[in-house]
Amino acid sequence: MKLQTLLFELSRSDALGNVADAAELAAGVLAESVPVERGTGLTRWGVLKGESDYTVLIDAHIDQVGMVVTAVDDEGFLTVAGVGGLDLRALPARPVTVHGKQKLPAVFCSTPPHLSGEEKEYGNIADIKLDTGLGAGAKEIVSPGDMVTFTAEPAVLAGGRVTGRSFDDRAGVACVLELARRLKMAGTLPVTVCFLLSDGEELGLRGVRPAAYTLAPQEAVAIDVTFGDGPGIAPEESGRLGKGPMIGFSPSLDHALSKKLTATAEQNHIPYQIEVMGNTTGTNADQLGVTRGGVKTATISIPLRNMHTEAEVVDMVDLEHTCDLLEAYILAGGGLHA
Amino acid sequence: MLDLLQKLCEQNGVSGREDAVRDLIISEITGHCEYSVDPLGNIIAFKKGKNRPSKRVMVDAHMDEVGLIITAVTEEGFLKFRTVGGINTEILLFRRVTVNGLSGVIGGKPIHLLDDADRKKLPKAESLYIDIGAASKEEALALVSPGDTAVLDGAFTAIGDKIRSKALDDRIGCAILIRLLQQEAAYDFHAVFSVQEEIGLRGAKAAAFTVAPDAAVVLEATTAADLAGVEPENRVCRLGAGPAVSFMDKATVYDRAFYEAALAGGIPCQPKMAVAGGNNAGAVHLTRGGIRTLAISVPCRYIHSPSCVCSINDIENAQKLARFMLERIASGALS
Repeated sequence: MKLQTLLFELSRSDALGNVADAAELAAGVLAESVPVERGTGLTRWGVLKGESDYTVLIDAHIDQVGMVVTAVDDEGFLTVAGVGGLDLRALPARPVTVHGKQKLPAVFCSTPPHLSGEEKEYGNIADIKLDTGLGAGAKEIVSPGDMVTFTAEPAVLAGGRVTGRSFDDRAGVACVLELARRLKMAGTLPVTVCFLLSDGEELGLRGVRPAAYTLAPQEAVAIDVTFGDGPGIAPEESGRLGKGPMIGFSPSLDHALSKKLTATAEQNHIPYQIEVMGNTTGTNADQLGVTRGGVKTATISIPLRNMHTEAEVVDMVDLEHTCDLLEAYILAGGGLHA
Repeated sequence: MLDLLQKLCEQNGVSGREDAVRDLIISEITGHCEYSVDPLGNIIAFKKGKNRPSKRVMVDAHMDEVGLIITAVTEEGFLKFRTVGGINTEILLFRRVTVNGLSGVIGGKPIHLLDDADRKKLPKAESLYIDIGAASKEEALALVSPGDTAVLDGAFTAIGDKIRSKALDDRIGCAILIRLLQQEAAYDFHAVFSVQEEIGLRGAKAAAFTVAPDAAVVLEATTAADLAGVEPENRVCRLGAGPAVSFMDKATVYDRAFYEAALAGGIPCQPKMAVAGGNNAGAVHLTRGGIRTLAISVPCRYIHSPSCVCSINDIENAQKLARFMLERIASGALS
């Protein structure tokens, strides 16, 4: 499958709490390359055995940001809580899907200007109700605990860029699935590779912990998204779209692995950027690194604009180059001799 | 009716650029009436009825919708814009837009990079920009020029017994007026599909001068605030209780006899319980020597957003009430 088609299919499906559509979709694609196993929640993985037992774990998280219903009132309005970090300012009048007994279209309320006053504060998501349009009938279909997701369909923009929801981290998931396909085709690998699609990243890097414990790798690379460039965003805290995947350098990452990745990119003429993080990385790498007795860890990040909104934007060329870099890196033995 | 309404909502027609909506309306009314397009782009139609009216009546609905106009392109290929019509900034953040048939998004700083205070308040509208994926000014200018308009995407979707879509304000009025023209009429009447309502009731001003009616009926959508946590007295009107009929808003004191006749007609409707907003009645009722005017408005939640929500029942009752009042006024019964 073309990488963009794969990303779009992954974006159209949702993976949040008990909504497993995107996890099942991704597992189905991964199963074309390796046998797939289930971890906790929506976590799925597959292992491709290599010449060496030295195992490189490649992680991307399958979960997405969204909302969960906490209350249903008699007029068909819902109260929700956030799942992951949300920009509350962007919720009013935003269409969503409520995953009740059936999938329901709904919309966040937007208080008319004659009632909201001049300086509106967006401090509490419970103040922004959800309108199901169902009146009292809502209670028959929606219950507390039901998940709520955004609705934007993926779309092609100018210049090879694309927009859609949940690109954080379906962009990474698409790369892991494509990498599995390529490495399966590549014949015997020098190292064993574990392809991990982990749940619960948006809740504080949770789902990756039991999975990494179980898989017990010698090395791990977390594939996630990072802040893309844009007006008002400092160049030093963002990556430029289309200029290649960002290889992470951080006190919490293994310096030799980071260097091996940049060297691999140089040798194979793959564009890349450097992402320097002062302490930890805010990605699953932070947990991967302290799994069991410690795991050498690296990050590769895809620049993405408008993170945690349904207007996320990535450049497909950065995804292609992420796959190219990881393929070359694994074929060169990963960090085995780094 | 809903199929027609969907087609109308799916056209993009930001104020001043109503062309696509006008073309669709003309294709719908051709063969059912005489019509012309005036210098501003209003469609002015005349429907022959079974009887000659005692009063010359004009029925108005506006074709335009709120949206954005591109003002400049940055060196990095982002589009700067201004709003056309009243749009709250909370409606703009991280929205999908369509400009010249191309998809784009309104971009901004992710919350991760905002401090606590900034997370809770809206950015200045002037700081927002559209990202169409262009990587340079040249790439963007090959696709978009300053002066082009953009709409916020909002697909036509059933939600409960209601409709969620962009541009229900005022494609609902357009759909009702098209149906009035397509059906047999009891009395001759004039129909105006007007331009530029959202930027100050401009199209209807010129059209009402041209038609010079004795009376006017304005078909609209109006704010419904029947939302969780809003006290009953602040709700303006509520979905499902029929179209709202106004006694007074920020632009018009309505003809009292028309207002009372509408409420007394036996068709489900409700008084608009606020002196708020305004519509083409404001321009029409002051035209020439003054024109007696009625507004029939379908209650609409989240009006001026791409997620307007209206009740299907209310739309049907608005159509009934429009026909009823058109006939009552034209017959001379309310003179």
